[in-house]
Amino acid sequence: MSRQEVRETRRGARSQRTRTSSRLRGWGHHHRAMCLDSARRLIRYPVGSLLTMLAIAIALVLPAALWLTLDSARLLDAELNESATLTAYLASDVDEAQAVRVNEALQAHSAVAATRLITAAEGMAEFQQALGLTDALSRLDDNPLPASVVVTPRDASPEAVSVLAGELEAVTGVADVRLDLAWLERLRRLAELGQRLTLALGVLFGLGVLLIVGNTVRLAVESRRQEIEVVTLIGATHAFVRRPFLYSGAWYGLGGGLLAWGLLTVGGEWLATPVATLAESYGARYSLPRLDAMGSAVLLFSSTLLGLLGAWIAVGRHLAEIRPR
Amino acid sequence: MIAFEHVGKRYGGRFEALANIDFRVRRGEMVFLTGHSGAGKSSLLRLIMRLERPSRGRVLVAGHDIGRLHASQVPFYRRQIGVVFQDHQLLFDRTIYANVALPLEIQGVEPREAARRVRAALDKVGLLHREKALPIELSGGEQQRVGIARAVVNKPALLLADEPTGNLDPQLSADIMQLFEDFNRIGTTVMVASHDLALIARLRHRVLRLREGRLVADEEAA
Repeated sequence: MSRQEVRETRRGARSQRTRTSSRLRGWGHHHRAMCLDSARRLIRYPVGSLLTMLAIAIALVLPAALWLTLDSARLLDAELNESATLTAYLASDVDEAQAVRVNEALQAHSAVAATRLITAAEGMAEFQQALGLTDALSRLDDNPLPASVVVTPRDASPEAVSVLAGELEAVTGVADVRLDLAWLERLRRLAELGQRLTLALGVLFGLGVLLIVGNTVRLAVESRRQEIEVVTLIGATHAFVRRPFLYSGAWYGLGGGLLAWGLLTVGGEWLATPVATLAESYGARYSLPRLDAMGSAVLLFSSTLLGLLGAWIAVGRHLAEIRPR
Repeated sequence: MIAFEHVGKRYGGRFEALANIDFRVRRGEMVFLTGHSGAGKSSLLRLIMRLERPSRGRVLVAGHDIGRLHASQVPFYRRQIGVVFQDHQLLFDRTIYANVALPLEIQGVEPREAARRVRAALDKVGLLHREKALPIELSGGEQQRVGIARAVVNKPALLLADEPTGNLDPQLSADIMQLFEDFNRIGTTVMVASHDLALIARLRHRVLRLREGRLVADEEAA
């Protein structure tokens, strides 16, 4: 290759590069322009756009609220798991010194995390405090309560706990082991059902959002049919034609997501007081769960994504139909 | 530039729009395509624009068999030819400037570079002062000139026009044809479909005459 040729090849390569980078800038510019243009089109018809977004928001609120409730139930579940303990009641003829030894024996068991001995006297004091029956109980000559040991298992799963209960019962000096886990199990089953229900509803309502956006974008495509035909005639790619509609789909999704977020927040505020009062009347402290930053981000991201996807499907279907005449 | 090799086009298996068309157009030539309506002028142009594929034979443009272009390549092929339509095909919700800039926007040309080229094209058709107007505010002849500016804004090597003077009076038609001759003079290959025989006769270019889908005459420039 002669020096002349090399120089020309280099120049060619350079001009190719500048052309590519300027193309890229032009492409970026078109993205920005379409992003703004589709937003402007939405604002030009505020009522229609708002109605579409509201429909999306309503479709999003139900699964989001369920998910929140379930999330808080899961927290509750974890707390309950931690508090899962067994109570070993000692035989009534076990005296205090023996009780201490039994406690030590239980503590030594490999599946036991911690124990707490409640002597007969302590048990009586607790009982009196809880019932407020000081007078009636003080009339008793004898303390009828046995000493007991509260055992915290290492593994709080229902199977492990019931195995442990059997083993503890065999320890000398232990008369009875009580565990009441059936309700815990039931609660867990309920939570599982709720989870599946939320998932099913989420999928259904997600499909609803796709349909809402798809239908809106289909109308937009129809109203801009001539424009699509013209740009196709002068060399627009499918991506170019699709772009403004994808942006408007994403805007619809984002708007719907924001509205859903607002509805959840306002609804949460509105329900907070009655829920707290209700919980208090049961002697519990429970406040309605709220969307944190992460939850809000997930909500907005998925609503935008659903909008984009709905637009993609609608435009794809209609691009195939619209052929320049 | 353009070569038709024994091209036939049938629609729906029965109606024969074009039969055994065979001709070549050299680079830089200006050619008129004429014949009654329904003679196949539009079908022929649609084949060159790759809106249709030939049922038989081959259509070559700049050496490429465009019937064999993959669908994803077609947009890039169309960017290389400028097309002027009888009904202008302008977008009525955009300014003249935006209409002319459309092909550059599609190709991703930077706004500054695009502005320069749009102004040059509008200047060429004498409508630079109307760039902010909407198409509806322009007369038929002016609208057609906007359509021409849009067709030439990215300096295509091939310019096609389908009845560009269809709805215009003789003086405006002559002006439009003058514009095509100007573009041809700077090296653009131009093909104009028209049934305005009087005008064509005056302009002294090569004429391809179609009748019922057949090429019945190929008259070299006088």
